[in-house]
Amino acid sequence: MKISSHTTLQEGTELTERTLLSGFRFLHVGSLQAATSRARSAQAPTLHVMREEPERDLLRSLRYLLCGCLLVALALSLRAAEAVDVLVQGAENKEVAEILDALKDAKKIEIGPFSFWTGTIGPHKVAVSLTGQALINCTTSTILGIEEFSPKLIVNQGTSGAQAPYLTLHDIIVGRRAIDYGNFTSPPRPAGAGSTPLAWTPVPQRLRIPATGELQSFPDGFAGDAACLAVALRTRNPMGRVFPGVIGSAHEVNLELDRVQWSARTFGMDVEEMESGHIAAIAHAYGIRYIAFRVVSDAPYEGVPFYPMAARATALYTVNFLENLPPLP
Amino acid sequence: MSDFVGKGIRLEGSRPCEPRPAGTRALHLLLAVVLLLPAALRAETVDVLLAAATDAELQPLIKRLDTPRTETRASWTFWLGRLNGKAVVLTRTEGDPLNAVAATTLAIRRYAPQLVVTYGSARAHDPALQPGDVVVSRSFAAFDGLISDPLPLGGGSTPLTWQRLPHAPMTPGEKEQYTDEFPADPAALARAEKLQPARGKLVPGTLGSAPQINREADRIAWIHKTWHTSSEDAESAHIAGCAMLLRTPVIGLRVIDGTPEESAALALQFLEASK
Repeated sequence: MKISSHTTLQEGTELTERTLLSGFRFLHVGSLQAATSRARSAQAPTLHVMREEPERDLLRSLRYLLCGCLLVALALSLRAAEAVDVLVQGAENKEVAEILDALKDAKKIEIGPFSFWTGTIGPHKVAVSLTGQALINCTTSTILGIEEFSPKLIVNQGTSGAQAPYLTLHDIIVGRRAIDYGNFTSPPRPAGAGSTPLAWTPVPQRLRIPATGELQSFPDGFAGDAACLAVALRTRNPMGRVFPGVIGSAHEVNLELDRVQWSARTFGMDVEEMESGHIAAIAHAYGIRYIAFRVVSDAPYEGVPFYPMAARATALYTVNFLENLPPLP
Repeated sequence: MSDFVGKGIRLEGSRPCEPRPAGTRALHLLLAVVLLLPAALRAETVDVLLAAATDAELQPLIKRLDTPRTETRASWTFWLGRLNGKAVVLTRTEGDPLNAVAATTLAIRRYAPQLVVTYGSARAHDPALQPGDVVVSRSFAAFDGLISDPLPLGGGSTPLTWQRLPHAPMTPGEKEQYTDEFPADPAALARAEKLQPARGKLVPGTLGSAPQINREADRIAWIHKTWHTSSEDAESAHIAGCAMLLRTPVIGLRVIDGTPEESAALALQFLEASK
């Protein structure tokens, strides 16, 4: 998601209503414990009867086997929805609208404040996710989406600001890499000495590696899935060009060209936005394949202001990609 | 889980020794597996989620857990047990927003805590704060958002003129709502305000967080003025934003330039006060 400097913000709005999560699909612990408890209490007399009437063993066992199966079905149904092949994400309504139009047999699922729509696109079972913008929203919704739908692949797509002069409106960058570029340490400066962002030291995203337990730094961010990258580069963008590139994420809208240039040189970034690098890290932590597509919605080198409807290009491109992508193993 | 398994073993042991048909035995074995599976899938609810950045801040609490056990999911670890009579889960945030929000989301989903406590050290933004002072969260501000004005090549970067870009938590109905601050739980704040710092004074304030270590005095003053932050750390407001999304009350406890031991002692004191 990309925000314009002209975006009108509802500043100071308090979020005190606790009306969220009405549909939050927690594991219903109480119900499950009660059900399990009932099954346990039912088991003891069965054993007693078995000793006296061994000839009825088979019937009774089958009955409790059926009850057990029902319990398992209940537990699984409470635990998660049906697994999907691909979790397809967009931060804003405009970024998922065209994808939802292409979704067949669509079914909406709400998890807390987040909406998901399951269905099929091309040969794939898909969950479309409206993540909301920036790290807090996208990290929370991605974790919930992974836990709920167990996807084999995550596709994150949406709008972005060009960080390189060769890009123009409606061009799409396919993420060779996605990186968080917003972490830094600044050097000590006394009062009156000002602030110098071009002298700040980047701090790479770190993740603990599950197999070793070690905390590892990722100074280059996270690579996009190679097979998906190849398919994406053969996929048509109906409104512009397609390039492989580097997508940078932070809760920032940078329009100072010196800082834009510094970001491009420091991180290799072609575009900036607010989610892809964070979601790439989560996908890496879970060992899930990942690819990101970002359409240029504003180009500060050309003085092109934010054009939110550019989101249509990347959404249509994403549908084309899913139709081109072979079934996932 | 252990309670259920125990009863399962006792039931198995109470069976008579007389021979039974092999098919029946197999069915009972299958029945046991089928009945155990829901218990294996059963989640555990806790009273409090305690989130801290490092092992050094977590270990003093983990060492005190009764009936401790550990669970992991992807990159994130959860230590469960009882502490001061409460069922708790502890998680390590690694000291950055992404790991903090990921661990908090997983913990809330898996263990449904009634309260999230984020604790640790912080750097002062309010010039009145001294090392050892404790800031308890009246509110939280994630101050990592910025919008700069257009400047041409060679025009430099002017961070003290940047506009703030608030976070916009998602709400039901596919709508985001911009907010400068995330709220702290009033009841938890009332308990926190009665804590006794080991050194220094206790101040209710705004805990700020961003993946930044700011050491430029002019920028610190700008953040303090723009976001009204008392202090900065790398996770507390992001955890609060996540907790708000998932409708879970949250409180933050921060020691200015504190040691891990001081932070852990403060969290323990808060749990004691919450009995």
